[in-house]
Amino acid sequence: RRRQSLSIASTKEPKGEVKQYAKQAFGLFGHLSGVPRNHSLVGVSKEVHPAVLALGLQYSSYVICGSTARCVSMLLAFKSVIESYTTPSGTALARNLVSHVLSPNIEFLKSCRAISISQGNAIRWLKDLIVKIDPSVSESEAKSHLLNSIDNFILQRITAADELISLNASQKIQAGDVILTYASSSIVQTTLIKAHKAGTPFRVVVVDSKPLYEGKRLAKTLAKHGLQVSYGLISSASHAIKDATKVFLGASAMLSNGRLYSRVGTAIIAMLADERNIPVIVLCESVKFTERVALDSIVGNEVAPSEELLSEAERDVLVPLKPLNRDPSSDIAADKSDARTWWM
Amino acid sequence: MPPTTVTVAPGLSSFLKSLKNTPVDSSIEHFIALLKRRQIRNSRPCAIATTQLLLRVVAEFKFRDVDKLLRRVREVGQRLIAAQPREMVVGNIVRRVLGLIREVAEDDAEVDTNAISDIGNSPVPLQSEFPRPTLASSMSTFSPLRYGSTSMDSSLHQSESMSDQGELPHRPPLLTSHTSYSVPNAPMVTSLFGLFSHPDSPSASSTPTGYNSPNGKGTLTAQNLERLSESTSSKANIKAEVQEGIKELMDELEQSDDLIAANALDHIHSNEIILTHSASTSVQKFLLAAAKKRKFTVVHAEAHPNDHHATHAMTLTGTKRDYDDDSDAEDRWKPLTAAGITVVMIPDSHVFAIMSRVNKVILATHTVLANGGLVAAAGARVIAKAAKVHQTPVVVVSGVYKLSPVYPFDIEELIEYGDAGNVVPYEDGDFVDKVDVDNPLYDYVPADLVDLYITNLGGHAPSYLYRIVADHYRVEDINL
Repeated sequence: RRRQSLSIASTKEPKGEVKQYAKQAFGLFGHLSGVPRNHSLVGVSKEVHPAVLALGLQYSSYVICGSTARCVSMLLAFKSVIESYTTPSGTALARNLVSHVLSPNIEFLKSCRAISISQGNAIRWLKDLIVKIDPSVSESEAKSHLLNSIDNFILQRITAADELISLNASQKIQAGDVILTYASSSIVQTTLIKAHKAGTPFRVVVVDSKPLYEGKRLAKTLAKHGLQVSYGLISSASHAIKDATKVFLGASAMLSNGRLYSRVGTAIIAMLADERNIPVIVLCESVKFTERVALDSIVGNEVAPSEELLSEAERDVLVPLKPLNRDPSSDIAADKSDARTWWM
Repeated sequence: MPPTTVTVAPGLSSFLKSLKNTPVDSSIEHFIALLKRRQIRNSRPCAIATTQLLLRVVAEFKFRDVDKLLRRVREVGQRLIAAQPREMVVGNIVRRVLGLIREVAEDDAEVDTNAISDIGNSPVPLQSEFPRPTLASSMSTFSPLRYGSTSMDSSLHQSESMSDQGELPHRPPLLTSHTSYSVPNAPMVTSLFGLFSHPDSPSASSTPTGYNSPNGKGTLTAQNLERLSESTSSKANIKAEVQEGIKELMDELEQSDDLIAANALDHIHSNEIILTHSASTSVQKFLLAAAKKRKFTVVHAEAHPNDHHATHAMTLTGTKRDYDDDSDAEDRWKPLTAAGITVVMIPDSHVFAIMSRVNKVILATHTVLANGGLVAAAGARVIAKAAKVHQTPVVVVSGVYKLSPVYPFDIEELIEYGDAGNVVPYEDGDFVDKVDVDNPLYDYVPADLVDLYITNLGGHAPSYLYRIVADHYRVEDINL
């Protein structure tokens, strides 16, 4: 369940890009610009459960951001969907639940933010479970079976896995280590706090990046627990790595060709660590393993609206450019466009 | 303080305006204050201000002695460098000016010696048979000549020994450089005796055999007198020539970007994807020059959190917003998009992800060091390394004035740390209180990550830069 990635080749990043004002799709990530992100509840299918509606908004506003957190919260929301479900007369639960109830909910979540690998794995498992329910079993029994199974899934695949991983990983931290971590991973946070509580004296360097600044929360939490933390942005990574003795990374997915798929910028950290022969330790639950393969960060990736890159003030600055592109006489193929990413 | 600074925010333009009608010493103080307060920062403004200031220093210099002028310029230079050691351009310009003064003085001296030796050769037949040896500058203190000729002309030697005593504490590099290898034809300005060396002398010995004959002594005094009368007229020109040279240096600063941009078409082909980083006028002009003929895509990493405002301004308007300069009025800046170039702005974290699509990386620089490494805005190191991993060529664009003769023995001391408030705003008191926040402004990029330097002299390999350093700076001036 723990993977060591010791080479640059084993890292990979999501990367997204959306055109801002240009009429033509911009070449670099044209294949990725998908459906525009949904930030409202207008026009949502009536099948979508209120719990899922709330969750979708939390996804799109990054209140729930991490891959594991999104997976768990989705399963819990599906529990309430199943609880409030009654099979219409004339159909079986196994047939109706997936296609008529679960699918619209999943579609809505997808429209809020692309589904992560762990979510995809969980959804596949849940659908499989529902389809295999014996039609002769009564509805209430089937529902309680489903609810218990979901609880067990969360317990075994995530809670217990995290417990084991953090236990093993915290033993890797020795006295006097300087641990560098990138952005924020819940499992890395657990590991570091566990090692600190075990009494190991060590220091943490958090490297963070625009625009989500996830690492801020991690740094704050660690500091509250009494760890010695220093914080810098990705542009200072080449300085931060000088002190580091180990690098701990979270994962979004482990691809089947052994590469790590994680927040944009992770590859930079892995590259710098590789250059200095610092061990890179990736903490990853097996829910995040996938059949997919990838060679670079451009072919398959998650896309976010480019406006999120800019602060309010900067967006105002961009406004004067709009007429330039709308003017048919101008020969501008494409104007300034911004790329923006997160981890999937 | 000049009155202009009351109304205008102090900066490069207000400083240059105040230069004309302020005495030099207060201008120096003013510039030092501006450097310390970081109101003049970055290579180009610092270079322009330093050259203009030194031009004034030379213009207002009252004595005729080259040594005193050198000492004065060096003394001013030391103060400027001490004010802001990491703006290495200031030191570069000071060294360039010192080298210029030396060159002018040597040319002058050479003209003199040739004239004297012509006169000296005709009455004394001895000199054609015995080649005249080169004198190391320090020899004048110890040579028997000195005692021999005191009887002839004591006043000359008094003044000379005084200047020698003055020399010793001030100029160790010069003395050692001449004594350790007594090179034939080495041009010497330190003492008058240096001026007597025959330029065509084949002998490298520093033993003054030829002068021990009574005839030698006779010619010596004749030449001394000759020289004394000559010196008064020739040294008036030196100052004018030096000022001329400094003005040429100014021209070089102004033209360097255009000269660099002239190379653009040799390096950028059509439909390329070019990655660049932070806001730089040199890079902007370089890309604009290529954009006139070719269509390509520029991916611009924004250098958050220190330079991103300037970078955004650069992509939108074609110039850094906070950069006030007279050249603004002359050529209207255009953003690259206006030239039909697709510009994509990316945060620094995307650099590795996008590198597999990038054909070429063009970096701007803060300083270039003699070993071929460079100091650039933070994030440059990551970009250069990512390019190396992807086998993408890295091209560094820089004027020769940014090339420093300093070797980076301690990399840490080159790196300046900036306002941590740019990374985490101080409103977030809880965070700032508990967590150390780092904000390095610069990265050191080692020479092996760079493939090519393009300066106003053309393209060079990083390993060749030490030659350019040798052409532009004097060994004596490297340690100021």
